[in-house]
Formats: sequence, C-alpha cells, structure tokens
Amino acid sequence: MPMAMARARKSIPPLLIVALPAAVLLAFFVVPNLLLLSASFLKSEAQQLTTQPTLDNYRFLLTRPLYLEVFARTFTVGIAVGVLDLLLGFPLAYFLVRTKSRWKGLLIALSLAPLLASVVVRTYGWYIILNRFGFANDVLLGLGVIGERIAFMPSTGAIIIGLAHALLPYAVLTIMGSLNGINPHFESAAMSLGADRMRTFLYVLLPLCLPGIAGGFLLVFSIAISAYATPAILGGPATQVAATAIYNFIIQLLDWSLGAALAVILIAATLLLLYGAGRLGERRATL
Amino acid sequence: MSVRRAFNRWRATAAPWAVLRAFVVFVYVFSLGPILITAAVSFNATNRSFFPPRGFSLRWWERAFAPEWVDPLLFSLKLGSLTAVVATALALPLAFALYRYRFRGRQALIALTLGPLMMPTLVTGVGLLQLFQQLGWREQLGFTGLLVGHVVICMPFAVRTVSVSLQTLPPNVELAAASLGATRIATLRWVVLPLVKTGVVAGGVFAFIHSFTDVNLSIFLARPGETPITVRILGFLEFGFAPTLAAVSVITLIVPLALVAVVERVSGLGDFIYGERRRA
Repeated sequence: MPMAMARARKSIPPLLIVALPAAVLLAFFVVPNLLLLSASFLKSEAQQLTTQPTLDNYRFLLTRPLYLEVFARTFTVGIAVGVLDLLLGFPLAYFLVRTKSRWKGLLIALSLAPLLASVVVRTYGWYIILNRFGFANDVLLGLGVIGERIAFMPSTGAIIIGLAHALLPYAVLTIMGSLNGINPHFESAAMSLGADRMRTFLYVLLPLCLPGIAGGFLLVFSIAISAYATPAILGGPATQVAATAIYNFIIQLLDWSLGAALAVILIAATLLLLYGAGRLGERRATL
Repeated sequence: MSVRRAFNRWRATAAPWAVLRAFVVFVYVFSLGPILITAAVSFNATNRSFFPPRGFSLRWWERAFAPEWVDPLLFSLKLGSLTAVVATALALPLAFALYRYRFRGRQALIALTLGPLMMPTLVTGVGLLQLFQQLGWREQLGFTGLLVGHVVICMPFAVRTVSVSLQTLPPNVELAAASLGATRIATLRWVVLPLVKTGVVAGGVFAFIHSFTDVNLSIFLARPGETPITVRILGFLEFGFAPTLAAVSVITLIVPLALVAVVERVSGLGDFIYGERRRA
C-alpha cells in the first residue's frame, strides 16, 4: 500500500488538481479583501480613491460619536441576538435530541426549514407584525394594553427580534451537534445518584455541551453583526448598524476609504473576539 | 399513595418534560409564525398587508407573476443553478486533494478554502466590487460579477459536503479497484465518483440555496436589469409593503423547499445536515 500511495502521489501531484480552484479563491477572495484593506489606509477625494496613505479614516470613525454609536449598536445587537438564540435554541435542541416522538424527523426538518427562506422573506413577516398598523398593535389595542398605536419599528429592538428569528436555526443546529455526542446515561446516572433535574442540568449537561453553546453563540453573533437585510428593513436612519453604514458609505456616498475602514474594524473586532473565545476554550481544556 | 406524593413525583419526573414541551411549542410558533403570517397576508383583498387578511383575493398573486417579479426570479434560478455547477466542479478536486494527500501547504489550502465562510459575505462583496471597478470591468457587474461572487461564497459548503462523503468511503475500495487493473482515472470515474455522488449532489443543493437566498453579497454586485429576486424585494421594501411582496416571498420560499424535497427523495440529503453518525 505505501508503494501504491507513493506512486499515486507522483502520478497526480495535488498542486496540479487544486490549481484552478485555488486560483479562483486567490483572485476573487484573497485579492478583493486585500484591496479593501489597502483602501482603508488611502485617502478619498471627490468620491475617488487616491494613492495617498493616511490613517484619517480610522481616526474619523473611531472619534465621531455617530460611528461609535453604530459600533455600540452593532455589538449590542450581536450579543443580544446570540443570547436570545441560546435561550430559545437550547431547549429546542435538547428536546429534538432527546425526544422519542414518531415525528422527530419532521420536527427537526421544521426547525431548520426557515434556513431555506431568504432573510428578506423571513424579515418581511416581522414587518407585518411590528409596523404601526400591524398585527401586534391590533392585538394590544384590542386587549386594551395600549391606548393608541405605537411604533415598534424602526428600532434596535425590532432588529434584535428579527435577527434572532432569522438566525435561530444556526444555534439549534450547532447545539444539537454537541448534544448528540453526550451519552444520555450521564444524566440518568446523575439523577440516580440523587441530583435533581436542575443540578443535573447545571453540573452535568451544561458543562458537557459548553463547546456547542459557545460555538452556537459565536456563529450567531458573527452573522448578526454583519447582517444587512434585517437592519435595513426593521431599522431606519436613526438605528444604523455596521453593515448598513458600510453600504451607505460605498453605494450612496461613494466614499471607499471610510466604507473599507469600517469593514476592516468590523472584521478585526470579530477576529479578536473569536481568538479570545478560542483562547478561553483552550484554558478550559487544560484545566 | 397520597395525592401529595403523587404530585411530588410528577413534579420530579414528568413536569420538567411537560414544561419543556410547552416551551418548544412556543419556539416553533416564534420560528414559523412570521412565515405563515406572510403567506396569509398575500390573500388580502385590501391593498395593505393586514393580518389577519381582510377579505380574500388572488390579485396579488396575479401581480406576483408579472414580468417585474418573474424576471428577477428566473435570473436568480439561472444564477443559482450555474453557481451550483461551477462551485461543485471546483470543490470536487479541492476536497479530493485535501482528503487524499498530505502535502506542504495543506493547512494553508484548508484556510483558503474555508476563508469565505469566516469572512462576512458583505465584506467580500465590497472587495469584489472594488476589484471589478479597478480592473475596469464595470460591464461585468451584474450576472458575471454575481456568478464569480456566489461561486466564491458557496464553494466552502460544497467542499464540506464532498469531504463528508469522501470520509465515509470504504477505506480500501481504491486499492481494490487498482489491484483489479483499473487505472487511476478509471478508478476515479467508476468507483470514487459514484460513491461520493450523494455528497456532490448535496453540495450542489447547498450551493444553490446559499446563492438563491443571498443578499449581503448581491446588493453590491447587482445592476439594474440583472438583479436577483432577494435584492429586488429589498429594493421594493423601501417604497412600500403591498401584499404582492408577500406572494413573491412565498414563491421564493417554495423554490428551495421543492428542490430539497425532490433531492431528499432521490438521495438522503438529510444525512448531511443531521445524523452523520447514522452512516458511520
């Protein structure tokens, strides 16, 4: 076998067969991102990118209260959506993994089906519910909870609800993956040793599926902070997030420098967070 | 047994599960409700998106089938299908090389392959727009630009599914074929490819759906007349919320749903989303 492998390695060098896909990724993924990085350090004049290097783009974005607010809102939305999806997704994932229902397959399919709809479609439903003349206002008026119609949107809260809804399947999928690897007998063992449900959950189940929970949070968080469609529909000019601000800079204002710098800050913050979470995970693993 | 003890037992064993079930019902309502509401709204007789719908009419559906909506829908279908074909064609050798060989730069290649998955799609979209503009490829924005962008962001999905099916390949089939006199190419064509067919199909389906539902990249690379349906809906949302949009939304939901249902029938697509251990 080693000889056959050695011969195979000689007859089709891997570099040859991966050359085309690797070239495509280099040309249309790595190069564009490098261009973007370089644009963030260049000066824009009269809606044109110049070749003058500068740090002003970053200075501008990191000192204006308007953009600091955009960053704060973006990360608040990301964290809120992540937490909300864990609270909703964990019980659902636990149920789906442990249920002995005949309908298990169908229930799993139903919980993941929203992934097939575009975010635009999924957010449209929330518009119907949350707008001033929408379902939520009708219900609350009918019940006498509110005296007059109130605007639930545009608001940061509406963005959070819409994104939590759109990204829930990602949390469920990740947590389900980690719960699947946990032997259900661990729980019965803990309970037969006298732990009640709560203690079993806190001291047995939760620590065991912590990687899945952390993974689900990070996945949802990182998609949420770069989401464009939901904040564009459920938010407004007063509730800008990073993605809508980038779009405005580049498409409306044609300011490549600021748009690029904003994108770089967004990525840097995300990578830092992912790196930090990874380090934290390692620390836990060594303890 | 006293009532009290029976209650305590119920509280200790059955009750938590009952509470969990009630909560799960709530989560399903939260998750599927807005989609069902959208579907209901499309049958409104009035020209506002009322829920519950007032009256019943099919006129919004009639409008949803006007060229104004059908054209971007067909555009998205064309773009998604071509993306699926190109992305899987590129992913196949990539997945095969990563699975089959250990070579210098393999880790770098893995990072390169999964990169588009890590990087926000929006950022890749902006970068591609900049690249196209600097190269003077303004004419290529629209279909060509979108195809390039979608292939890049969909390739990781295809590589992943193909890798999963390569890992389930029985270990010695290739050697068996070779010892029976098959050449490398013949082995690949007649043994490996048929065995990983499901993975390739699944990769294509994922790529199609990812392309069909994408917004973040498409908003930068589309141009008037060459716009995917999602971008078209988003553009329309800024002006108004006629129930036509609800009808269009339902149509765009049915397309991937039907595709998955058909492919699931033909080959076990579900295995790639959930239950990989079932095959191991």
